[in-house]
Amino acid sequence: MANLVIMPRQGQSVESCIITTWQKKKGDRVNEGDIIFSYETDKSAFDEPAQFSGVILHTFAEEGDVVDCLAPVCIIGEEGEDISSLLGGAAPAEEKKEEVKKEEAAPAGKAEPAPAPEATKVEGDRLRISPRAKNLALKTGVDLSAVTPTGPHGRIIERDVNAALDAGKTGTTAAVEDFLRGIVPEKKEEAEAPAAAPAAAAPSADVYAYEEVPMSNVRRVIAKSMHASLSEMAQLTLNASFDATRLLAYRKLLKEKGEEMGLSKVTINDMVLFAVGRILPNFPDINANLVDGKIRRFAHANVGCAVDTDRGLLVPVITCAEKKTLAEVSADAKRLAGGAREGKLSPDEMSGGSFTVTNLGSLGVESFTPVINPPQTAILGVCCTTNRLKADGTVYPAMGLSLTFDHRAVDGAPAAKFLKELCAALESFDLLLAK
Amino acid sequence: MPKSQYVDPGKVFQPGYAEFEKIPLCTYNKTIKDEKANYKKEDFLRIYHDMRTIREFETMLNEIKVKSEYRGVEYHNPGPAHLSIGQEASAVGQAYCLDINDFTFGSHRSHGEILAKGLSSINKLTEDELYAIMKEFLGGTILGVVEKNFKTDNVKELAKDFLLYGALAEIFARKTGFNRGLGGSMHAFFIPFGIFPNNAIVGGSAPIALGAALYKRSNGKPGIVVANSGDGALGRGPVLESLNFAAMDQITKLWGMDGKYSNGGMPILFNVFNNFYGMGGQTMGETMGFGNPARLAAGFSPTQLHAEKVNGYDPLAVIEATTRKRDLLLRGEGPALLEVATYRVSGHSPSDASTYRTAEEIEAWREACPIKAYREKLVKARVATNAEFDAIDEAIIERMVEVIKLAINDEVSPRMDLAAEPDMISSIMYSNNHVKSMDESRKPEVLIPKEESPRVKQIAGKSRYAFDADGKPVPKMKVFGLRDGLFEAIIDKFYEDPTTIAYGEDNRDWGGAFAVYRGLTEALPYHRFFNAPISESAIVGSAVGYAMAGGRAIVELMYADFIGCAGDEIFNQLSKWQSMSAGILKMPVVLRVSVGSKYGAQHSQDWTALTAHIPGLKVCFPATPYDAKGLMNQALNGTDPVVFFESQRIYDVGEQFHEGGVPTDYYEVDFGDPDVKKTGSDVTILSIGAVLYRALDAAKILEEKYGVSAEIIDARSIVPFNYEKVIESVKKTGRIIIVGDAVDRNSVMRDMASNIAEMAFDYLDAPPVVFGSRNWITPAFELEKFYFPQAEGIVDVISEKLLPLPGRVPTYNETELEHIERSKKGV
Repeated sequence: MANLVIMPRQGQSVESCIITTWQKKKGDRVNEGDIIFSYETDKSAFDEPAQFSGVILHTFAEEGDVVDCLAPVCIIGEEGEDISSLLGGAAPAEEKKEEVKKEEAAPAGKAEPAPAPEATKVEGDRLRISPRAKNLALKTGVDLSAVTPTGPHGRIIERDVNAALDAGKTGTTAAVEDFLRGIVPEKKEEAEAPAAAPAAAAPSADVYAYEEVPMSNVRRVIAKSMHASLSEMAQLTLNASFDATRLLAYRKLLKEKGEEMGLSKVTINDMVLFAVGRILPNFPDINANLVDGKIRRFAHANVGCAVDTDRGLLVPVITCAEKKTLAEVSADAKRLAGGAREGKLSPDEMSGGSFTVTNLGSLGVESFTPVINPPQTAILGVCCTTNRLKADGTVYPAMGLSLTFDHRAVDGAPAAKFLKELCAALESFDLLLAK
Repeated sequence: MPKSQYVDPGKVFQPGYAEFEKIPLCTYNKTIKDEKANYKKEDFLRIYHDMRTIREFETMLNEIKVKSEYRGVEYHNPGPAHLSIGQEASAVGQAYCLDINDFTFGSHRSHGEILAKGLSSINKLTEDELYAIMKEFLGGTILGVVEKNFKTDNVKELAKDFLLYGALAEIFARKTGFNRGLGGSMHAFFIPFGIFPNNAIVGGSAPIALGAALYKRSNGKPGIVVANSGDGALGRGPVLESLNFAAMDQITKLWGMDGKYSNGGMPILFNVFNNFYGMGGQTMGETMGFGNPARLAAGFSPTQLHAEKVNGYDPLAVIEATTRKRDLLLRGEGPALLEVATYRVSGHSPSDASTYRTAEEIEAWREACPIKAYREKLVKARVATNAEFDAIDEAIIERMVEVIKLAINDEVSPRMDLAAEPDMISSIMYSNNHVKSMDESRKPEVLIPKEESPRVKQIAGKSRYAFDADGKPVPKMKVFGLRDGLFEAIIDKFYEDPTTIAYGEDNRDWGGAFAVYRGLTEALPYHRFFNAPISESAIVGSAVGYAMAGGRAIVELMYADFIGCAGDEIFNQLSKWQSMSAGILKMPVVLRVSVGSKYGAQHSQDWTALTAHIPGLKVCFPATPYDAKGLMNQALNGTDPVVFFESQRIYDVGEQFHEGGVPTDYYEVDFGDPDVKKTGSDVTILSIGAVLYRALDAAKILEEKYGVSAEIIDARSIVPFNYEKVIESVKKTGRIIIVGDAVDRNSVMRDMASNIAEMAFDYLDAPPVVFGSRNWITPAFELEKFYFPQAEGIVDVISEKLLPLPGRVPTYNETELEHIERSKKGV
């Protein structure tokens, strides 16, 4: 029986990998454990060993191609096997965040019929929709993601909106506005129905079909910034953990009793942000930016707070965190995270950070290597809590912290000192509050 | 050639010689003593006064131009000043013998002529007449200014102030000028004194003056017309066309042949002020070959246009010659040509460094100054003393200082305030009047009652609707066609307005190349309806002059392609005189042009864009008999210049849209009002001209093959144009294609598309698209379907750019890529 080999997901933040080398070719026989292909993420390189023995019957990508995590890479089976179900049923990686126009059909020649409508709407970042169709969409609240454009240049025209309305595809006016602004909702099951048609029924040509998803602007900015970060800095990461017993107890207290004071929604991350805000002023080279060979030490702790959004990672900034109460920090973090997700933040609210906190703990990450947000000099990764044994045999919740710093600006010892002081502060969080 | 004249092969080849008579050159040789019999002392002195006034006026202008100061008065004048210092005797001599029924037309260098004719008129009119004229002119505005500021009880003196002030304020672009400052130096005039417009286009006045003479000739009006030009203008086609037109045989041989109506030649004097230079080019010895302009006249007619040359430095010689010409014109022996040899001591303009002539030459002419010479002769002949002349000089200078002070006073002589009254110029671009008859006092001169016209009788038997009672098409021969609609409107006007006149190439006898005028020959005398020479400039230019003088003209250029031959007359003259005169002049002219078919590259062009581009013209292009008659009625009842496009494809088309067919009674179709010819819901087709019928075919294909419902709007007129109906339609359909037979690039269609995109953007489901002809020459008839928009092409463009039609297999390549490629190549 033939099996699909999929692109593994190497870490939560990795969405796609590049196939660097095919170690085996289509038609080659592989044994379990043989390396089939090598690939890499933006951070690491990996080899993918075969988990089945057999012959490589089909490959979905070539060297240099970017393949979404969990998307099929090749099929291993026995020669002569019917693999059509695997070809057609190749499920797309995860949910699709953007609907993308397929490569445009060649312009109709003189004697070719008008091209059949394509179920696509967006070319690049630009949604093509006529003013009239737009007005109708806003008036009726049609579900624009369910509209099939039939106008010239893949433009949505009035009749397309009417067709969707006739099919009952309605949503809210707000959703139309979002869509027109480029905020594309996750595709609903219903809307995807045609794509989920049985694989066997799909024409064979579709086996080779692919979608090119251009990078969104946010994605491009992240790519540029992260690449610059890793290529230009001397980054290294220190890992440490602390006993989170009192921190968690205090959080529990807030959750149970903090309702009246409006503190019931304070998160672990808020508490870390608060502690970071209090400790940072003691470490001017960490609460700093390195710009053009000069270290810019900040008078205040302007703590960036990494937020995962539909469009990618955004880092709004909590200003003057050193002076803010826990309640204030928590409120700021909530407001900024919400704003980031809705795309309503001003560029000002996302710049000027002196330090960044990123949290993958809630996703079960025990330890990681955060990448510094240039031109900052350090970033703190908040990891999950694991149970550890004390020397006396008691179990305590240990929360991991991963501090990446730029060795150009800071040496190992002061960085370790910062981490140690932060751990101590968090360990005695209730005392820190009193400071 | 009319049937009454026989081209006899037996005579055509007879041997012999064409004979010419001697042309007199400066034969005047009277002395002051001789002339004392003809002039009183005051006459002699008045001639001096008028010359001296012109000299001072232009000296003042020159000082202002070059020094920004005249006798202590400082002013900067950025406008033009083409001076005629040295030519005063020529102007004053001519004006001396003209009265206000004699019209003068001038050039860019005509300040002197205006003042001379004005001063002469002031002398000839009674005080009451003068005062009434001044009071009526522009609501008494100018009179108000001069009465308030020049304290005098003497109406004639006041009138001189009025004349100098009105002219100078006009030159300085003041609202209190003769034309509210809109004409300026090169276009100043004053109709009540018979001073008609001067012209900034060299030779531009010749055909216009011809038209004014035609008005006098065809309507039996008194007086003559003087077409003043420089010698440089004799190189211009329109001038030569006008000389030929004025001298054409029919005026004396055919007009009035029935003895019923007035006889005689064209009452026009082509007066050439020969100052030897056309700007810097020397006409004698360099840029022309005729030597004396007078010689040129000999070729136009056996009368040699009674040409002679006169000494323009001697006012009395000019008076003597001009008087003789005027007399013979009044006797019906025109036209005439007079060369007045003179000299421009001043440069072409103040910026002219006179690099083309020597200082000695200028000095010699300055020494020969006509004013000085005349004064010396009068002193010598004891007509007056130097002291008397000095007193005249002083009074003139004193008056001139007062006039300029007043003319530059921003409070007394403000400019148009377009900030306060932004519509002031808009309001005079068209007169928008409805005038049934330009002369209610007369009955139209016709040969038979209208009902007896064979054409009227023939039309009576035609079906006025394209379909019979059963809905079947009526055969072409039996249906009232578009050409009948035009004819009905035109013949009605001929029987209503005595000034209405029609001419063009092959109009009479033939009935026009496309038979619109068939039946008019029997109904109208020659002087109202005649064949013009193949002289498009003279045809259109004379219509301009005919209208200026007070008549209504319908002129025809046969093919729209000939618009190029009458470029200046259409673009600079016909279009601009209403507004350049601040609304004083009216321009009731209908210029008929026909868009050809089957006739190739130079006879098939829809040039609506060229005419629509020029402010001041109204432009229409009807496609149905109902619209043709209605628009022609309104055009003929109006007082604005209309370029009336017709199409040779559809002269025989019957009325398919207006229920009940074309009314026999009078009705008008409003200019600017497009018409929905077919209602629809999915796409709007806006058509210009004859393409309407192909748009209808396209609508049929859309409906039957694709279930798409097209609304068709016929533009009918192009300028003015009301977009409201189109926008209403676009609001409904969301899509619009504009079609027409003009080449796509820079067409009216493109202009409309751009306007619609701006005005209806939010309602559009696709950008407005244009489908015109290719940017090629028009190919042969057999290939026209690749050039002019066809029904299938309209459907293709709709499918390609507006509303992709499922299963559509295009016939034409109208993709965007193709258009980019074509544009790269300029095709």
